[in-house]
Amino acid sequence: MTTLDHHATTRPIPNPKKSLITKLNMGTGMVVGIIFALATYYLINPHVDQSVAQEYNRQLLATMFMWSLGFMIGIGAFIGPFRWLIGKDLTDEENLYLAGDGQGIKRYFKYCTDHKVVGIQYLVGVMTMLGVGGTLAMMIRTNLIMPGSKFVSPIIYNSLVGLHGITMIIAMIIVATGPFGNYIMPIMIGAADMAFPRLNALSWWVLFTAIPVLCSAWFLGGIPTGWTAYAPLSVQAGPGMNAFIATIIIFAISTAVAGANITATVVAMRAKGMSWNRVPIFVVGATVSVALAIPAFPTFMVSMIMTGLDRTFATTFFDANFGGSGWLYAHLFWIMGHPEVYVILIPGVAALMEIAPVFVRKPLFSYNAAIMGFAGIAGLSVLVWAHHMYMSGWMPMLNGPFMVTTEMISVPTGLIFLVLLGTLWRGRPWMKLPMLGVYAFLWNMLVGGITGLYLSDVPADNYLHGSMYVTAHFHYTLMGAALTGALAGLAFWFPKMTGRMLNERAGYISFWFVQIGFQILFLGMFIAGAEGQPRRVSDYAKTFATSNMVSTIGAYMIGIGMIVLLWAVVHSWRFGKIAPMNPWGSKTLEWTVPYPVPLVNFDTPPVVTSDFYGYGKAEK
Amino acid sequence: MAPTPGEKLTNFFKRRDVIIASALGVAITALTVIIGGWWYTKWMPTALSTDMKSIERLMVIFTWISAPVCGTVVAITLYTFFNRHKGDTPPEDGPAIRTRGPIVILWSVVSSMLCLVAVVYGLIELNSAEGKAQADAPHAMIVEVTGNQWVWNFHYPAQDVTTDKLMLPINQPVEFRIISADVNHSFWPVQLGVKADANRYQVTLADTTPNKLGTIDVKCAELCGLYHAYMETTGAVTTRADFNNWVTAQGGHTA
Repeated sequence: MTTLDHHATTRPIPNPKKSLITKLNMGTGMVVGIIFALATYYLINPHVDQSVAQEYNRQLLATMFMWSLGFMIGIGAFIGPFRWLIGKDLTDEENLYLAGDGQGIKRYFKYCTDHKVVGIQYLVGVMTMLGVGGTLAMMIRTNLIMPGSKFVSPIIYNSLVGLHGITMIIAMIIVATGPFGNYIMPIMIGAADMAFPRLNALSWWVLFTAIPVLCSAWFLGGIPTGWTAYAPLSVQAGPGMNAFIATIIIFAISTAVAGANITATVVAMRAKGMSWNRVPIFVVGATVSVALAIPAFPTFMVSMIMTGLDRTFATTFFDANFGGSGWLYAHLFWIMGHPEVYVILIPGVAALMEIAPVFVRKPLFSYNAAIMGFAGIAGLSVLVWAHHMYMSGWMPMLNGPFMVTTEMISVPTGLIFLVLLGTLWRGRPWMKLPMLGVYAFLWNMLVGGITGLYLSDVPADNYLHGSMYVTAHFHYTLMGAALTGALAGLAFWFPKMTGRMLNERAGYISFWFVQIGFQILFLGMFIAGAEGQPRRVSDYAKTFATSNMVSTIGAYMIGIGMIVLLWAVVHSWRFGKIAPMNPWGSKTLEWTVPYPVPLVNFDTPPVVTSDFYGYGKAEK
Repeated sequence: MAPTPGEKLTNFFKRRDVIIASALGVAITALTVIIGGWWYTKWMPTALSTDMKSIERLMVIFTWISAPVCGTVVAITLYTFFNRHKGDTPPEDGPAIRTRGPIVILWSVVSSMLCLVAVVYGLIELNSAEGKAQADAPHAMIVEVTGNQWVWNFHYPAQDVTTDKLMLPINQPVEFRIISADVNHSFWPVQLGVKADANRYQVTLADTTPNKLGTIDVKCAELCGLYHAYMETTGAVTTRADFNNWVTAQGGHTA
């Protein structure tokens, strides 16, 4: 009899009668959120003149934040802290209720503290965001199919670019640490739950409130600034910009909470015997990533608060006419922006490092080199931000030093390659879907890494900066490498998260469509960049016609592949083959628990006596 | 990727996997070197200045520096891919190689050396460009570039000409003084290999010496609002005589 049966049969479903928490869910959250938003909007309304941009911005920003606050109150996020305020706490029964024990599908719509529920919430949220961002990308590429295309107007095109950018960046930041960091990681380290379960629920639902805010940008005139939101363009931009500002501030709160939670969990809640040199590499990667995010995102938040103040109260942080500086914004943004790309990349790579040993049936090659690679990348990534500003005119004399630090990142990145290649060498890889991801990653990261070398070089950047070449480069690293890693992780952990196997045939079809389409799309874009096409343009000269046509064809192939993948995930989740407990023969702890994973994960806390890469027979 | 401890190097190099992977690696490196020799220059527009020429050269050399990395990664990837295990059950366990100290060190040293070559080469180029700019500065022709939403304006103070076409005489050092009247723009005369942001109330400097006749496409490389895509103009590198005629036609005066 498993723990789950035990839960299902002998323990009564907790039912703390008369407790408010049983009444609250996503629906009440939305109702209270909307009431708060409307009340704020109409209470302020008599006092503002909507034709004055600053006053209208104040009204909109206040409305957006009050929606978020109202939603969190309505879903019951503050019941616990409120009890503390009056010197009490939740009862045990209420805590158990919050963990969603025995509540079936309803718990996914509640303020549920179970890390597995939060993981699924993140997974669905991320897939939704990727779907929206991908649709926007299809519209962008459709408009660029030929010069002079009038699929959308320039103002809508700029909004598409901005929304595609920020939606994808937010989705990619949480694509691996959200679903797998929450669902799998605590089981992987042998913990019963996250260190702060209520904060875990908070991080997801706060993020959830950002989604309608971001969507509202559509109805407020869009985000015409791209996801970089450079001042003074962002100060000049219309009311849609407020949605961007509010989204980023809310998102920064969510990542700070999630980052602190994941770090604390890994530091404090590892199973007995899991010393630092036995921690699975995915856990290391997720921790490095969120630890890097903790200092990075607050600067983004600060830059957005300052932009918001410039827009609402006429401060002049970024207005050079009154002693401010647009470069200040660029600095704050890129001090977040460059660590951020590694926040995205590292968990994806780490998932692949977890996958490779299982399918090659060999130990991870040089665990220490992997750690050094992550640490080196994380350490250097905070010292390279100004390579985004070579051409900005800010301190040309510092271009040299920033070029040196940037190119140095290729050394720890090389270690990542060494670890994966060393694991593959002399092995006979079992070419299941997750393993294909390792191969796709190696190729895409190779292209992404080498093209990064040209961009890091100041003289070459004189030509390449701000061109389509940059766009192609970072799509290779973020999509080709990080998203591939996350999707391989999805294929790998799908049996544990849903209890069913992912449809293999559909998975292969999707994989090849996406990867081949990807090469075509960005090959075309590299060429367009080398030919001299600036990025973020809604139209272009005839000289770029061929390369853009090629790109659009590739984009449609990716679109087809992604639709197949979506079908595969949805279909397999409902009707897929029932998965055995450990379909891949992996040695990590998450495969030692049954599906559905019991509430506290393990019947008896596991004891770790070796690391998890003990594959392989002794060498002859 | 390394000899098993105790294995003789001669035996190591007789192993089938080592021979095939090495051959693949050499072939792919050679292929990358050959393709890298013309790939970027094929797509990049005609260079009208030494800056653009050196960028083209740099793209080629950086591809060559990356070629061994590309060869190693692709060779091992391809070899193991074709050596894959087919079937629905997991394969037999492979050799339990935890790490190979010498290989990790060799890999780190070689990749650091390649990185160092790229860094040193880039710094030398950067330094020579700056040195040339300083040497040219005293007798450079000044062009004040102003970015507006969404047009470029060029003012030639010495000639007293204001225009929206970038006309430059050949072999005459130019200093661009770039500023914006509103939001950030990025001044990009494509064929000259020059780029610099236009910031509000802050002048940015850029310089070059056109050394070939031809047309210039001027674009904006920083998203600047609604018609960013259409913020472009043309220009030309002309002979000194043609330039003087043009200045006179614009109502300016030649030096």
